[in-house]
Amino acid sequence: MRLFRSELLRARSRRLVWMVVLGGVLATLIAWGFAAYYSHKPSAAEVATAQQAFDRNIAACLRHTGNEVPPGYDSADQYCRENAGGPYLDGFVLSDLDTIMHHTATFVILLALIVGASLGGADWTTNTMTTLLTWESRRVRVFFVRAAVIVATVIAITVFIEVVFAAVAVLVAATRGSTAFLPPDFWRTVSLTMGRVSLMAAAFAVIAYAIAMVGRSTVSSLGLVFGYLIVFEGIIAGFRPSIQGNLLVRAAVVVVSHQPIVDGGGGGFSTVLLDVPRAWLVVGVYTVILAMVGLVVFRRRDVT
Amino acid sequence: MAMIEIEGLRKEFRRLRGGRTVAVDGLDLSVPEGGVFGFLGPNGAGKTTTIRCLLGLVRPSSGRLSLLGADVGRALPSVIGRVGSIVEAPAMFPRFSGRRNLEILARIHGEGDAAIDASLERVGLRDRAMDPVKAYSLGMKQRLAIAATLLRDPSLLILDEPANGLDPAGIVEVRELLRSLGAEGRTIFVSSHILSEVQQTADHVAIVAKGKLITAGPVNEVLATTGGTGVIVKLADLEAGRRALGAANIPCTITGGAIRADVPAYQSERISRTLAESKLYVTELRPDTVDLETVFLELTRDRGVGD
Repeated sequence: MRLFRSELLRARSRRLVWMVVLGGVLATLIAWGFAAYYSHKPSAAEVATAQQAFDRNIAACLRHTGNEVPPGYDSADQYCRENAGGPYLDGFVLSDLDTIMHHTATFVILLALIVGASLGGADWTTNTMTTLLTWESRRVRVFFVRAAVIVATVIAITVFIEVVFAAVAVLVAATRGSTAFLPPDFWRTVSLTMGRVSLMAAAFAVIAYAIAMVGRSTVSSLGLVFGYLIVFEGIIAGFRPSIQGNLLVRAAVVVVSHQPIVDGGGGGFSTVLLDVPRAWLVVGVYTVILAMVGLVVFRRRDVT
Repeated sequence: MAMIEIEGLRKEFRRLRGGRTVAVDGLDLSVPEGGVFGFLGPNGAGKTTTIRCLLGLVRPSSGRLSLLGADVGRALPSVIGRVGSIVEAPAMFPRFSGRRNLEILARIHGEGDAAIDASLERVGLRDRAMDPVKAYSLGMKQRLAIAATLLRDPSLLILDEPANGLDPAGIVEVRELLRSLGAEGRTIFVSSHILSEVQQTADHVAIVAKGKLITAGPVNEVLATTGGTGVIVKLADLEAGRRALGAANIPCTITGGAIRADVPAYQSERISRTLAESKLYVTELRPDTVDLETVFLELTRDRGVGD
């Protein structure tokens, strides 16, 4: 527990951590500032027209599915409500918040990657790992405690940014948009999305941390992670669609959106490329394996 | 009990392009309790690698090491809390204040503000404690690192080149600090390539070169391994002085513009009196001591391990 408190103090003292928080909040304010500027508060007539159009879309969607329940959904109605597009209003509608949070998850996860890589790599750059290990020589303990601190830090940061994001969204919807069409479980859905985004951010931070402990620098970790995720997975996914179910980015997308990747070719829903439980498993396996590699290398390699 | 015991330590590093570099080659060493122990040798002698092996940072290729009686390979965590150490340059987070760096370390062992304040006071950094470490001079960084080692009130301090890069004033500061720590009953194991510096501080020394132990023991004994001591005498008429001393059965030679009398320094009074009785008056009279540099150079030359 003492080592955890020490590591927490170290993380809390890092300027980067506060810059990430500040950057996240600033980006939130700027994005919603633009949204507020280009949005306007709809009239009651516009809301009623949008509701009628939405109802027609749902009916069309149900006819199209023939009441067949797509994989990953409880009912055809649920599928249509989530995929037929929300009621369209010319401006920001709060009910779109959950979808917006799915799309901004990438940004949040990128911030987490930077935090994880930096909290793992900075000690090697400043050579303070030598100092730390002369205070706590049990490397397994050092590795796991630091991983725990990274998870705690990233979850705290991402939850805070997402809460700020949602709070500003409510403010914008109330003043320059609409709070109509909110489903009854809207806040529960949004909260679960926040939780999933934070968990994914923590998993990616642990991956970046583990690679930083292998490469012994922040830069090598970020380079390797971005190189793999953007170049390698991008190319692989393009050339070998059949292995999409094993790729980290696809799995993270499925977890965050809580919707499976379905092969819609041929007009049916017969082929599920990646369902939600398997996506959790894929992310978990990547995280655990890379963490184990990081631990083994950290434990065995000389600190020179 | 020996504070540090090393038997047959060997460490090889694999080179990236193949082959191996032997950093330490069968080193045996025993460091007694109390006082300052100088671990001397030129750059590349294997001093830092030995220290890293002692602290569990580097895995030895073979050999046995113990620290405070505990086997380093198996029981290091049980004694690491009683060991303060600095390995090479003091490593601290440059953007954190000196105090914050100490707080982070102090929390690992549950030390509080009192221990931090006492450590900062001890090394004279209390007034600059809130400044970022990147604003510190090298001497201040070195003192901060020593303050960190003192947080745990260690019975053994392992300091790797603590005077490295310091200006003369900084060297004197560190020397005084080491002396006072040693006088408190702690064991100070200090490595250095500046032999003259350690000579002024250490009670015992070990000299290593190319990963091998050359000699070890109390400083006086090590100094005595290369020839005896003598007395250097300067006066106006060197030849007359040589004759007068010779007549008094004091063996001497003229060398380098002075007379070197081959007698212990405590016979200086006899030399002075003998010359004065012959109406010869000394302008300089000093012991001709052998320093560790000389010992090191002679020993490494004799054993074929010099650079």
